[in-house]
Amino acid sequence: MAQLTMGRSAAPVAVPQERQISLLKRIMRSKQAYLILIPTFALVLTFNYYPAFSALFHSVFDWNGYNVQRFIGLGNFQAMLQDPTLMGSVGNLFKLTAFSLFVNLTFPLLAGALIFHLKNLRLAYFYRVLYVIPMVVPGMVVLGIWKSIYSPQIGLLNMLLKAAGLTSWARPWLGDFNLALGAVMFIGFPWIAGMSTLIYLAGFQAIPTELLDASAIDGAGVWNRFWRVELPLVMSQIKLIVILTVIGALQNFATIMVMTNGGPGVTTMVPGLWLYRNALMYGKMGYACAIGTALFMITLVLTYLNTRYLKSSVEFIGA
Amino acid sequence: MSKTLKHDYPIHIFLVLAAIITFYPFVFMVMTSFKATVDFQHNFWGLPHWVQITNYSDAWTRIGGYVGNSLLVSVSTVILVLFISSISAFVFARFRFPGREALFLMLLALLMIPGILTLVPAFLLVKNLGLVNTYWALILPYLAGGQVFAIFVMRSFFASLPEELFESARIDGANTFQLYRQICVPLSKPILVTIAIMNILGTWNDYIWPLVTIPDGRRWTISVGIVSFGSSYMGTESWGPMYAGYVLASLPLIILFMFTMRYFIAGLTSGAIKA
Repeated sequence: MAQLTMGRSAAPVAVPQERQISLLKRIMRSKQAYLILIPTFALVLTFNYYPAFSALFHSVFDWNGYNVQRFIGLGNFQAMLQDPTLMGSVGNLFKLTAFSLFVNLTFPLLAGALIFHLKNLRLAYFYRVLYVIPMVVPGMVVLGIWKSIYSPQIGLLNMLLKAAGLTSWARPWLGDFNLALGAVMFIGFPWIAGMSTLIYLAGFQAIPTELLDASAIDGAGVWNRFWRVELPLVMSQIKLIVILTVIGALQNFATIMVMTNGGPGVTTMVPGLWLYRNALMYGKMGYACAIGTALFMITLVLTYLNTRYLKSSVEFIGA
Repeated sequence: MSKTLKHDYPIHIFLVLAAIITFYPFVFMVMTSFKATVDFQHNFWGLPHWVQITNYSDAWTRIGGYVGNSLLVSVSTVILVLFISSISAFVFARFRFPGREALFLMLLALLMIPGILTLVPAFLLVKNLGLVNTYWALILPYLAGGQVFAIFVMRSFFASLPEELFESARIDGANTFQLYRQICVPLSKPILVTIAIMNILGTWNDYIWPLVTIPDGRRWTISVGIVSFGSSYMGTESWGPMYAGYVLASLPLIILFMFTMRYFIAGLTSGAIKA
């Protein structure tokens, strides 16, 4: 029979006796726990760990996924550096990620702060619900709508420009070599409806009222209160948004695939889409695994930098 | 009251303006979805002159099957995720056994492995298992990935439940399964609802994985189906049926959201998701 105790509270009493029993006996006694965990770990090992290690392993092979498998060392990575499409796509990925980061650190933060500053709580709740609703519209429907907004002939954007007498500004937005990437970035304007706004709002609402009262007594205006009190206290949320945004942006290639499929030409190509094409259209599985490995490394480094160098709110409270 | 109004006034201007810009494309979609093609061509901005309900029946004959497929996949996945992850989270939270920390760390580490790294080998695995074009190709990997986050959230919730509850139940002779079934599950309904909705949103919206593993058009999920459906209208001007299809694709999630909104927003803002 497995031992049922709550980790921390019961530990001081249980541990001394526990030590005297051999590890094997303790494992035997807990076999119920291990049995229950079997499905979880069987799934995780099969569908997550095995593919992850397979990808890392095959990144140093010339591999078509079936019969050809030849060790080539860092050959794939060298080929990556000489692949103009991939190098161009890295530039696009950088622009998309930087822009996405900028957007998520400004508009939803402002919206969250404004909702938090509302005196009428009922309306504050109303806005919160209002801004969640677009979250439940399926992502591909949202992209479909934006594709129609950018449509050259009867798109909302060009029709709007015509109605405003700016007919010469009308463009086939997604087909324009210089504008396509910008058009993709603009999707979702004004970027306030979604997870980020909710996360910031939760952060603001967790600020102890005494702190806000104290700053009011000290005569801090709205502006000072925001910059000196509220913003430092939502640093944990900002940190979380930074990491979620960066990881999301590095991985997401469905948006590009659906909106432009990397075109016109390869002007909006991103590494994820290039990986997909190499694997599933050109049969270069090893090369695709190498691109995946590189993206994985970048994610690891950025996550590390984020946790290492961005302060969280607790540190501010402590200081 | 008047002071409150005065203070809030400039904020409302911003928030309402932002909401209008955010919602206008959706309003335009719903409005156009009722317009006949002729109406749309001559009356781009206005309300429909008559309601062309056949837009909806036409769209449904083309995408109804995808909605059904997605319902099947998302519902099966969420039921299995809730079951497997709640019982595993229960074990991690309330049992002490050798290797507990190491095993949990093994799950935690998965949050660092991006889906893009595993895409190619996972596809080959599913292919070698003979699961291509079956719903298992979706359900099993969704289950494997979806449970990690769920276990993560539920474990910290289960661990915060007072030990006295379990103690007294154990004295009354409850076995492990009863402790799980009669104490943990009933107490954690709000968190289970939040996890369920997030899981359904994730599987409903996933595009790349079903695109890769389900080449057979009849078995497509709605995300893959709706993209192909929408593309077929892009060169044309009959956007009524196209937008009707978009509305129909959105309805299941909107209905789900209407019934669970309170739990969902509370769960998202309470900080359960934060750590």
